[in-house]
Amino acid sequence: MIKKYFNKDNFINASFDEKQKRQSLFVSALLIVIFIFSSFTFFNALYCFVDVAGSIVSGSLDVGIRDLLRILPIILSAFMSIWALLLIHATYRNVSEERRLRSYKKNAITLIAFAGFNILFIIIMRMAGGYLSFLEGSPSASYPLDALLYSILYLGIGVFMLLYLRDLKDKIPYLVPSRGPIVNRCRFLYCFGVSIWMLVSLFTFSGFLFGLFIIDFRHGHQFYAIMLLIAYLISFLFLCIWEFYYNQLIEEKRRKFLFPLAIVGLVVSLIIIILYFIALGTDLDAPSNIGFGVLPVAFTASVNLGTLVVVFTPLIVSIVALIKGIIARKRK
Amino acid sequence: MKTKYIFILCSLMSVSLTSCGQVLDYSTHLDDYVTVMNYRDGFNILQLTDIHWSNNSSTMSSKIYLNKVFTEVVNHVDKIDLVEISGDLFMLANYYHITTFINYFEAKAVEYGFKYAVIWGNHDHHGLYNPNYLSKEFARANHSIYIDLEDNLYGRSNFVINLKKDEQVKWQITNLDSGACFSETAIDAFRNYDYIRQDQTDWWVLEHQKVGETVPNITYYHIPQQDNQRLWDEIHNNGATYKNKFFKLEEFDSSEGEEYASNFIETAKLHNLKGAFMGHAHNVDWTVDYDGVTIGLGVKTGTELYFAHVDASSDDPAVQEGLASTGITENFDLIGASLVTLKDETGNFDLEHLYLNERVNGDFIKWVKY
Repeated sequence: MIKKYFNKDNFINASFDEKQKRQSLFVSALLIVIFIFSSFTFFNALYCFVDVAGSIVSGSLDVGIRDLLRILPIILSAFMSIWALLLIHATYRNVSEERRLRSYKKNAITLIAFAGFNILFIIIMRMAGGYLSFLEGSPSASYPLDALLYSILYLGIGVFMLLYLRDLKDKIPYLVPSRGPIVNRCRFLYCFGVSIWMLVSLFTFSGFLFGLFIIDFRHGHQFYAIMLLIAYLISFLFLCIWEFYYNQLIEEKRRKFLFPLAIVGLVVSLIIIILYFIALGTDLDAPSNIGFGVLPVAFTASVNLGTLVVVFTPLIVSIVALIKGIIARKRK
Repeated sequence: MKTKYIFILCSLMSVSLTSCGQVLDYSTHLDDYVTVMNYRDGFNILQLTDIHWSNNSSTMSSKIYLNKVFTEVVNHVDKIDLVEISGDLFMLANYYHITTFINYFEAKAVEYGFKYAVIWGNHDHHGLYNPNYLSKEFARANHSIYIDLEDNLYGRSNFVINLKKDEQVKWQITNLDSGACFSETAIDAFRNYDYIRQDQTDWWVLEHQKVGETVPNITYYHIPQQDNQRLWDEIHNNGATYKNKFFKLEEFDSSEGEEYASNFIETAKLHNLKGAFMGHAHNVDWTVDYDGVTIGLGVKTGTELYFAHVDASSDDPAVQEGLASTGITENFDLIGASLVTLKDETGNFDLEHLYLNERVNGDFIKWVKY
């Protein structure tokens, strides 16, 4: 039964030659590295942004603006990382070589613009006294110097991409057959939904990793702590399954496997939700005692609202997949 | 064979996850919560509250501000004996902030010769660090007074500082962890602020009885209990004539609901509680006398997260009431520190609020006596 889903003929790389397989592996590895970078920078930016939102909600708009200017390079760093993620994704997202090239170029220029702005901003802020030093500190000992170096790195990546593209016509670029384009019907809704899912997954990946270190397992509340970690893990794992399993299937198998995958996802999500709420219901003091750091949104909004986003995302994804799976079955 | 190893590994993991060291019973280990300092008439306790170092904070700027506060206080009184940091030291912070904070306070403690006591605020639970790490670091710091036992008492920073002279306790300073927040039910979308639990009140009474009912006590915690709002309402709605002073420019943000009303003040006032000081609501430093107990919020320290700009021309009655009570006639920001000076062994003390604002053309500095 399981073998049926992992038969090598189900996957697009079954038809690849050795060079294509190496390229495919390289792109996947790059995607993982940039995802990890994006996850940490996004988590960091969310931390900063929640604090700014807290100042504004509490009536100190001036403090909010002051802090926003101070940590703008962190928020832009998150943008740059996520943009680089899109850049890598673009390599196997478009069916036509010409479209892929255009997408590359557009994303590379945007990356350069973000990085260039960030570098200029940090230098101007230092000159204007907005930073007392390049090593002013917070959120790290070397801030904002580290943000400056990070931007220079991304500027370099963007410039390299453009230079590489300049004479791409003379080279054999990327041989891997790309997956089908996104259908135009509901395109906006689809892109918006996937983007939100990606952001939640970026957040839950860091949340899970940080959670392993910052959640206090020694002060009681173990059941809730474990359920919270599992909720974070599942939310992120669903994206992995989508990207590294479902999206690697050939068109025919994708249509065939969507329904059973959605059913499994739905059952898993429901079990996690039920267990999570049992854990919370039997230990209402737990969230604030285990270490709230993995729930930055939770404090300014509410305890439960922050976790609900994490807990319910896999369920929503499964329901959408189920609807798509049912439609695909009917078409068959 | 493989199954056997997996079984052993799982057993070890579950043991490591669920095992706690021996949980102490607070009622039989009262001495474990106690630190002793030397008492003198004129013992000065500086309260700093809601410093709120976060990812967004310039720790460099914040330290410059704190330097000014320390300089001003030592110019005002001869010596700072104890600094009470009454919660929300951090919010959305990380290990860097903890290390920097402790290094800074250790350096100042050496420079000015004080000890500093740290209490958990609701936002101190809210950072990229393990809560145990924060506890361990403060417990380990040379000049910090901090005790967090693995016990059956709610919260972490519940401990006592007995001020002794001639081998006798003259004053008792108690620190309580007023928690963070909690869900009333599993499906509630919103949270309620925490409160001082019954076991903490019981522990407070036991610790106080141990040194003797005649010893005056001042207690510090972070979240105001429902008494603050009740007393404000009694004065403003029912015409009660309790002595009161300073500013209340936002809600106290205590727990909501009668079932979550702490009986701490009502109980402790029967046991020689003289003062209860807290933080939490940055735009409030309102202080009131109730049945021999002075209950008040400290002045928020520094400009992190949010604070009130007091506009002297405002027609807001709460602003005008605060201005009238303090005698201040110009615009200023409600940030600074609070100072308690223990006058003698009979329970008399002075309370002063320091408003310190950094300004380009000379800082605004104002001391107001309660």
